[in-house]
Amino acid sequence: MRLRPRIMHLVDDTTPEAALRVLDHMQRCPVLAAKACHERLHVARGHRLPQVDADVIVSHLTVRWRLLPALIVFRARHATTPLVHVEHAYTEAFCALNVASRSRFHGLVRTTYALFDRVVAVSHAQAAWMVRRRLVSEGAVQVIHPVVDLDPLRALDRPDRPDRPDRPDRPDRPDRPLRRIGAFGAFDQQQGFDLLILAFRGLPNRDLRLTLYGSGPEHAALTALAGRDHRITLRSAGPSMAADLAQVDVVAMPSRWEASGLTGLEARAAGRTLLTSGVDGLADHSQGSAHSLRGYAVDSWTAALEQALAQPWRDTASDPTFGAETRFATKWAALTGDLLGDLMPEMVPEMVPDLGPGPRPKRAPKLVPVTS
Amino acid sequence: MPYASIIVPAFNAQATVRATLTSLTAQSHADLEIIVVDDGSTDDTAVLAQQVAATDPRIKVVRQANRGLAGARNSGLAVAQGAVIGFCDATDLWMPDKLATHVAHLRAAPEVGLSYSGAREIDGQGRATGRTLRPRLRGITPAHVFKRDPVGGCSTPVIRRAALDALGWRPRFERQRDWIFDESVRQAGVFDCWLRLSLSTDWEIAGVPGLLTCLRAPAEGMTLDTRARLASWDRVVTRLRSQSPAFFDRHEPAARAFQMVSLARCAIAAGDGATARALIRNALRISAAPLREDPVTIATTWVAAQALDRMGPRALSRAKDLRPLSSVCVERRH
Repeated sequence: MRLRPRIMHLVDDTTPEAALRVLDHMQRCPVLAAKACHERLHVARGHRLPQVDADVIVSHLTVRWRLLPALIVFRARHATTPLVHVEHAYTEAFCALNVASRSRFHGLVRTTYALFDRVVAVSHAQAAWMVRRRLVSEGAVQVIHPVVDLDPLRALDRPDRPDRPDRPDRPDRPDRPLRRIGAFGAFDQQQGFDLLILAFRGLPNRDLRLTLYGSGPEHAALTALAGRDHRITLRSAGPSMAADLAQVDVVAMPSRWEASGLTGLEARAAGRTLLTSGVDGLADHSQGSAHSLRGYAVDSWTAALEQALAQPWRDTASDPTFGAETRFATKWAALTGDLLGDLMPEMVPEMVPDLGPGPRPKRAPKLVPVTS
Repeated sequence: MPYASIIVPAFNAQATVRATLTSLTAQSHADLEIIVVDDGSTDDTAVLAQQVAATDPRIKVVRQANRGLAGARNSGLAVAQGAVIGFCDATDLWMPDKLATHVAHLRAAPEVGLSYSGAREIDGQGRATGRTLRPRLRGITPAHVFKRDPVGGCSTPVIRRAALDALGWRPRFERQRDWIFDESVRQAGVFDCWLRLSLSTDWEIAGVPGLLTCLRAPAEGMTLDTRARLASWDRVVTRLRSQSPAFFDRHEPAARAFQMVSLARCAIAAGDGATARALIRNALRISAAPLREDPVTIATTWVAAQALDRMGPRALSRAKDLRPLSSVCVERRH
């Protein structure tokens, strides 16, 4: 019987929906499953964090002052267990727009990160911000772009490619202009859907459609903003992202802050033209069929939408997201392997590139039998 | 590679550019380059700049067709190599320790992206007029920048290159270089830049004590187009509103009122008491924030406007303290 290390992921009510989807993918990913057993533990807000029996503990919690004492106790109770924090929430733009006392906020984040052995940034821009603000040392932060299973999205018909040479079962359909714009996410200040509605309303073409997939506290305000423009629809996101993406030609992400922008990756995998604000982690999606637009002026966004609809992506030769899942799995395997060090080198030899100069604490591994 | 770059936008500044460059070459922090951007001058500005450059290899002169102050600053930024950037209009002067003071500030406070100082006003002959700009130096939030712009004109701050780069973009029609300053905003471009820095990055804005810049007073007889200035301010607010509607909903009335009070002070400086009175009245109708947050300035401005309107300019000739220097007046020269 082969044994695998147990990696426990902590989530709570503040963990973003996108992070939970990524976690679902991690738990189903066969590459990661071959290296370790990834489990999920939901912790209640406002309570003491529980004792966790695992080889590596990964926090997906949102850093906040009220959590800090619990994290300090948690660190003390797991003194020899490697702790990793994945930062899903905070970015430079978040700090600029939402934080009254920036130095106090930086102090909170810096103190919290110091409790962890590693911090995972979900985009290069976020990692650069962390290092620039000295929130974490350069050696303790690692960029791992979040990923979900993209194959269902890659299988979608390209909106600008009527024939699919790789899908002979698909009948050709006549080419048609792009006219369906979609946006995905919570209806809140972060997503910038209010700007999107205002910009879209500036487009005169009555055949265009804008659909916002999601829910949230600004639903009523967005509905009011859409007014009597029947081209605009707000609806709940369906159970399948692929099914929703199949209904749109262009994906807009006018986010005011965005740690990674998983939707951007999904849109690119589906071959949809992507228009983003380029803020924070969205900068990592600015390639191929993606356009980024600096600033939030309504008239600029109207012009950018018009251009995105007029100039769809034509680069069908390559998949811009090729290998994303593999890179994600490899990086997570390397990270956990590095943290586990010499505990289980016979199990994960390829995960131990550098054991570092100092001795590591000895402890009993929490191994899980492989059942498959 | 020099540690600091000082960009000098110059347009028809033959009367002052030599003095400006002399004040910059005399900086105690000598590891610098000075980039003079001659913005299509029709006088001898470029010739004079070349003459000074011949005596100091740290000076470079760049010439371009006229693109306005923002365009000249952007062109200077495109060739600047320094890790910190200063701007000094070709009418203004820097005190000898200005650059050294800001460099020390930025080195000691890595979270600060923009370091500024107070300023004094000088007249056409370089004599101090007695008017000063003494802004708040600490605890600057985006609301402070929006309402009272402590930085003032572009000749007062020294800014990290990284902070400026975070603001850069390239309009679709631009073929030569990025824009940091919005060249489409004629009269509020500097305010727009500081507000964008404050709203879209987490670089802090902080000041250092001292009056380290000499800002030249506008030439006599310059008129103040308050409508045009307010229209520029409105344009900036309209373009930035979507970045944070909640921020603008909360602070715009107060900021608009402060802007009108600042314009009233400019009107007083220009000798237009009636316009100043109207501006103050309208400002306080929009928001009582200026009265609440800065009653002394409101009172002195109101008294000055009344005196000017009823008794003429002589009433204020010996009361310089009633005409405090306003950051908006500084920008007026642009």
